[in-house]
Amino acid sequence: MSTPLPANKPAVQVKNLKKSFGDREVLKGISFEVYPGETLGIIGPSGCGKSTILKLLCGLIEPDEGEIIKASEEIGLVFQGSALLNSYTVSENLALALRTRNLSKEQQADRIKNTLELVGLGDHLDYFPSELSGGQQKRTSFARAVVYRPQIILYDEPTTGLDPVMSTVVEDYMIELERKLQAASIVVTHQHSTWTRTADRVIMMHAGKIVWQGKPEAALVSDDPYIHQFAHATKDGPMLNH
Amino acid sequence: MSSFSKASSQELPEKPRRRIPNPFIFMEDYFGSGIKLCGLTVTLLFKTWSMIIRGKIDWPETFRQCEMIGLKSFLVVCITALFTGFAMSLQISRELVLFGADTAIGGVVSLALIREIGPITAGVTLAGRVGSAIAAELTTMMITEQIDALKVMRINPVEFLVVPRYLAGIMMMPVLSIYAMFIGLIAGVYIAYTAANIPPATFLDSVKQTILDRDFTVHFLKAFINGTIVTMFSCAIGLSTRGGAEDVGIATTRSIVWTMTMIFVFNFLVTSLTYAPR
Repeated sequence: MSTPLPANKPAVQVKNLKKSFGDREVLKGISFEVYPGETLGIIGPSGCGKSTILKLLCGLIEPDEGEIIKASEEIGLVFQGSALLNSYTVSENLALALRTRNLSKEQQADRIKNTLELVGLGDHLDYFPSELSGGQQKRTSFARAVVYRPQIILYDEPTTGLDPVMSTVVEDYMIELERKLQAASIVVTHQHSTWTRTADRVIMMHAGKIVWQGKPEAALVSDDPYIHQFAHATKDGPMLNH
Repeated sequence: MSSFSKASSQELPEKPRRRIPNPFIFMEDYFGSGIKLCGLTVTLLFKTWSMIIRGKIDWPETFRQCEMIGLKSFLVVCITALFTGFAMSLQISRELVLFGADTAIGGVVSLALIREIGPITAGVTLAGRVGSAIAAELTTMMITEQIDALKVMRINPVEFLVVPRYLAGIMMMPVLSIYAMFIGLIAGVYIAYTAANIPPATFLDSVKQTILDRDFTVHFLKAFINGTIVTMFSCAIGLSTRGGAEDVGIATTRSIVWTMTMIFVFNFLVTSLTYAPR
């Protein structure tokens, strides 16, 4: 589909992004970059504006201020609730993603089969979403997001609501997809295992601002009050006082 | 005990007084949301027409919707039209027999059916069966982010969801409307024969003498408008609703109320423009 992006240039550049909903200022000037082959974890408590960033990156909503520079318009988004179309089978859901791409029927069928095999669902082509387990729905959602080989993949809470075993399975697929596709990935999560296992770099958000950024392993030993409180899940810290 | 209850009553916050709703704010909210919905519906209709003009039509999905909207409504339209035809024919037969004009029963029944009862019966039945289903389906898709997923995959929700439903609505509504008219007519023939002793041949002869070509034109115009109202209002409500499970129920009710009201309003407008005495 799209040619690989140069590794030395950012795939996504976000500059001073601001967004409000009514009187509520959700993002108060966010800036970051993500490079091809890198996975950026965006962590923080619920309601801090993490998912809003993803919606802005996909163009589902417009920013009030700031700039988003994307090296590719091919973006795949894995939704928190899978967001599969219930009246379509697994293969039809993936075919929808290929609908606007110039591929022959045979190419589409090959691509769908290969992508579903990548997430371990090669024999579930004709299943409806209601016939799949939560983990299988999530993996179908992964497959749909990557079936057109996007250069930028966004994950919105990919492991929320899954049991620990299924979370590990899903995280393994994310790591494998990153290795195979070499895309720039952004993972929005507050699940500890997800950001520590999948992210190369982490930014921590609180009340619409970035309060800490660094490597996941550094987050676990940092003295910063925000990341310390979040990474160690303690009540003592600045987050509950806000 | 007494000191405890005294302390408790002192600590309890004062009960908030029940606020009397401001009637002006209530009316502003009520009419404001109505005007907003009408605006959304008209905008959506123009977007849909624009897609159709540019040939962006998913025919397989349109035929699937024709089955959902049309074929699956035949039984319910049949039952509704049959009993409406029975009741109306009984009333008309009774009055015309009293005046000795029993040979005109067929003409009066068929006029009522082709001009008003046929389009209204099919429209109201579809508003209840199809409009509510469209609103509930699209609201659920909004709430579960399926519409956002379509946008991320570069699929236009109007092209993918609204155009097939609209085309199916305007194609199937005239079919159902004319079908309702014929079922009503069969009911009329039966009642005229059993209650007023009018032979079917006399009944049908009266129908032929009364019905004009213009009646069919107006009938199809009303059916086309009803199809547009049912699909467009339901789609606009579905695509503009946010929230949770409760909002699916609210959207469904809202869709039925709006589509039925608009069917009656536009029915009157068309009748007054085409049949009003000059």
